[in-house]
Amino acid sequence: MTALRKRVYMDHSATTPVDGRVVEAMLPFLTQKFGNASSVHTFGQEARAAVDKARREVAALIGARHSEIVFTSGGTEANNLALRGIAETAAPFGRHLITSAIEHPAVSEVCDYLERRQGWAVTRLPVYEEGIVRVEDLRAVLRDDTTLISVMLANNEIGTLQPVAEIGEFVSHLRASGRRHLWFHTDAVQAAGRMEVDVEKLGCDLLSLSAHKLYAPKGTGALYVRRGVRLAPQTFGGRQERERRTGTESVANIVAFGRAAQLACEELEARINVMKTLLARFEAGVTARIEDVVFNGDRARRLPHLSNISFRFIEAEGLLINLDLQGVAVSTGSACSSGSLEPSPVIRALGRNEELARGSIRFSLGKDTSEEDVDYVLEVLPRAVQSLRNLSPLYQKALTERACNLEAQTLTSI
Amino acid sequence: MPYSIAFQDHFSNPRNVGELDDATHTAEETNPVCGDRLRLSLRLADNRIVAARFLAYGCPPTLACGSVLTEMIEGKTVEEAFLITRNDIINAIGKLPSRKSHAAALAFEALRAALQAK
Repeated sequence: MTALRKRVYMDHSATTPVDGRVVEAMLPFLTQKFGNASSVHTFGQEARAAVDKARREVAALIGARHSEIVFTSGGTEANNLALRGIAETAAPFGRHLITSAIEHPAVSEVCDYLERRQGWAVTRLPVYEEGIVRVEDLRAVLRDDTTLISVMLANNEIGTLQPVAEIGEFVSHLRASGRRHLWFHTDAVQAAGRMEVDVEKLGCDLLSLSAHKLYAPKGTGALYVRRGVRLAPQTFGGRQERERRTGTESVANIVAFGRAAQLACEELEARINVMKTLLARFEAGVTARIEDVVFNGDRARRLPHLSNISFRFIEAEGLLINLDLQGVAVSTGSACSSGSLEPSPVIRALGRNEELARGSIRFSLGKDTSEEDVDYVLEVLPRAVQSLRNLSPLYQKALTERACNLEAQTLTSI
Repeated sequence: MPYSIAFQDHFSNPRNVGELDDATHTAEETNPVCGDRLRLSLRLADNRIVAARFLAYGCPPTLACGSVLTEMIEGKTVEEAFLITRNDIINAIGKLPSRKSHAAALAFEALRAALQAK
């Protein structure tokens, strides 16, 4: 029964499948070309050349120089390295940092750590109902001792785009007027491969990437570090990555990341078009078939592949399991926190009440999602929502109230 | 999927959903920590539970425990129903992850409250 069931993966913001072309590129580096990139012999040189090529490919994805790319074990490490590395460099000049209220835990929890243990003051910018920080708020909270700003390029739960280029422009104005000790980091893990990312246009000093959101394997990421930015290393014991991130390079994974970045560059426009069209079809279908839904986050300034929807009167986890039993994979808020009972802090940051925060589901499409996939979800989802609502005392109460209101209206109109 | 077959069955095809128009005993319990709710309505005749219905809001174990509870108690006398424990509910649903055992506790409390309600 389960073998015949249709399966639709609508959780590409959690991770993506590895592209066959990426697998093909990386395989030789697991078997024949297995050398350590630090070795002097031919095996080592082959590996080194492959890592260098991948570095250029990843750099090209974000408009950077190859020397500005530091490979890491993933987006989390890239974010940790950026914030902790800069915090260490910047601390003598001031310990105030500005971030947003909706960062991924890989950023927000580092900020919490710096605040609790390292004597930093942290200002978390509000995001309002649209889920976007305002540059004027950032201007208003900037202090003389502000040395670090970290605002994500696109949010992982609701997909909203943050005004990173405007913040970058503001930072460069400050620099032009003589401010030297201020660094700007952005987490682009969700954005890369789903929109144009150009470090020059963004004006950031550091930018985090993850390979597995780009159809490459898990376990690899990168941090862009603008030339001239001094980053205190957080690992010791080797010379790799110009001593900014030591440890033997995961050559095959890095090759995969490079190939995936290259494909993302070449196919970006086509991928965006596919996802945008299918997302519009999905959202129109949901709106037409299901009542009492609330779309979370700004409807225009957002990634092309992600829809975060609150279904009133029900809890998201029940919907997730119900859909899973029918072969549809989605997530509730951030995948990292789905084991906890807490409603999503991102949805709460939009000012939504607890019921809406507990009823929010993230649907995220990928480059290979088909119209058939979307239509299957549109067939399954309304039934799943309705069956949970039939169980819900909140829904029954709302129905009774509506019936009363209708009766009252009918009476007054007579 | 960490959940048992019995769990999946109750979750996918919940029994005795709704509310009895001619209930003699009803209760709605809320878990103060996670906000899960369970509403139970019973019809008692001759000291016996002749019908039970439930409504639930919350995580999947809460929904499944509500369903399995109604099946467990229908036909039982009030005394027999009072003997049902949290573990009986967990066993009936075929084990729960420990962090979800509060769902069985909520069902247990709702049953107690309903039996004691007027």
